[in-house]
Amino acid sequence: MTEGANGALLLDVEELEAGYDDVQILWGISLKVKAGTMTTLVGANGAGKTTTLRAITGAIRPMGGRVTFGGEDVTRLSTHAKAARGLVLVPEGRQLYPDMTVEENLEMGAYAARARKRYDDHLEKVYALFPRLKERRRQRAGTFSGGEQQMLAIARGLMSDPRILIIDELSLGLAPVVVQQLVVTLKSLKEEGTTILLVEQNVHLALALSDYTYVIAEGHSFTEGPSSEVAAKPEVRQAYLGL
Amino acid sequence: MIGILASVVDGVLVGAVYGLAAMGLTLIWGVMNVINLSHGAIIVLGMFVVYFLTGATGVSAYVGIPVVVVVGFVAGIIIYWMSVNRVIGRPILMSLLATFSLNMIIIGLATAAWTTSPYNVPVSLPGITVQNYTFTGTHIMAAIIAGAIAGILYLFLHYTRPGKAIRAVASNRDAAELNGIPTRQVLAMAFGLGVALACVSGALIATLFPFTVLSGGAYQLKSFVVTVLGGLGNPAGALLGGIALGMVEGLATPFTPVSWTPIIEFGLFVLTLIAFPRGIFAFTKA
Ligand SMILES: Nc1ncnc2c1ncn2[C@@H]1O[C@H](COP(=O)(O)OP(=O)(O)OP(=O)(O)O)[C@@H](O)[C@H]1O
Ligand SMILES: [Mg+2]
Repeated sequence: MTEGANGALLLDVEELEAGYDDVQILWGISLKVKAGTMTTLVGANGAGKTTTLRAITGAIRPMGGRVTFGGEDVTRLSTHAKAARGLVLVPEGRQLYPDMTVEENLEMGAYAARARKRYDDHLEKVYALFPRLKERRRQRAGTFSGGEQQMLAIARGLMSDPRILIIDELSLGLAPVVVQQLVVTLKSLKEEGTTILLVEQNVHLALALSDYTYVIAEGHSFTEGPSSEVAAKPEVRQAYLGL
Repeated sequence: MIGILASVVDGVLVGAVYGLAAMGLTLIWGVMNVINLSHGAIIVLGMFVVYFLTGATGVSAYVGIPVVVVVGFVAGIIIYWMSVNRVIGRPILMSLLATFSLNMIIIGLATAAWTTSPYNVPVSLPGITVQNYTFTGTHIMAAIIAGAIAGILYLFLHYTRPGKAIRAVASNRDAAELNGIPTRQVLAMAFGLGVALACVSGALIATLFPFTVLSGGAYQLKSFVVTVLGGLGNPAGALLGGIALGMVEGLATPFTPVSWTPIIEFGLFVLTLIAFPRGIFAFTKA
């Protein structure tokens, strides 16, 4: 999961434009993620965060712009081909397979050839990270609580051997204790060198956790910078932190 | 009394084959939300594959079953990429029209090639006699093979990687893509399996009854009834539904003329839809 050259540009999104049918939602979103860092993308409800991630992963076809991953132009690749290269998204709303067991969900995460080769290592690692999943590995995912489902969703993402792990709405609908637990997990993943792009509605949390922050509004880039600097910007404090 | 019981038992044996046919229909629906209106025509293809195979090589129809599976699977994959792939995720009418036109093409070509006169596949197997009623050997064999194939399908879907991928794609296609699963390929494989199941059931039916190019319609109707009994999209329920339909037919046979069979089937179809819209055996969904 560790990217060789720490600090090298891993994901480069340039002037991305996308939308649904005839409705354009994104009007030129740019963001860069360096290897080994934790970056966040924040914005109000409906700002276009999820749409940005869909356009990056290929779930919707970009109308314009470019996505470069690990030096390769992947803009037009299918979603599964990007996942196989290690561009991994844990989607909003978890999107588990409710009728399949925990372990089957994890196995599907490791479907691509690259991830399959390290299946046993990853399974052990993920179970060490979330012992609860190991206890319940034969249980159907649909019977889990929201927090457990989010753990499983992240674990399934880790099974894909991500070169970048993108998480849409880590904290949504979860109790504060559960969020704290997940934050600890993400920090340890980052310590190990995993590159993370986090999308969060909870701007406090996002700014506190990450190295670098992008703020988008109404499908446009609003502001960006090292998280501590962004947190100090008056326009951000006013609009997003309620200060 | 023993006569009625024997008729019901025989109905169960034949019903297992109906269940196998319905499994093909319900697998395709469950995975890709396509109702395959060429299902009956594909059953007929299976009948003719086994007919020509036994005629040309002299082997037993049962030895030909694996060949039918392979031919059906390959035909299914070809049909998927030529036609079905274009209508995945589009309004249901599109896939109905696409598979209906396929149905017309297959029946048209088959009629041109083989006319609509009746064919039969000669198979002789000793029956089992209980008191003075004999259970036909071919019916017993067909039920055993249908049960075995249903079991293999279950093991495939639950214990192999491609089988699990089919279940994942059926459950959430977007998530499967994000997991690195090439979902179009998985859909093609699932369609191939559904067609293979329909072909094998056709081959087995050919060992039981005479058939024509136009026989598919009746078996397609039975598959729909079975599917509604078993819960749409539920392969395990399909087998139970098939057995249930066979039982009803077996129960009715001593009392009603054969021409009443479709009426009974349709009646059952409507009653089930009213009383159990999700299928009588829907609870068995894995
Ligand atoms: N499938 C869709 N079809 C049409 N419009 C959509 C679709 N999904 C989202 N939109 C619209 O796109 C805009 C951006 O939505 P998006 O989900 O990207 O926002 P978001 O920043 O992720 O918001 P949230 O914080 O609520 O998750 C919204 O106006 C939304 O209504
Ligand atoms: Mg969102």
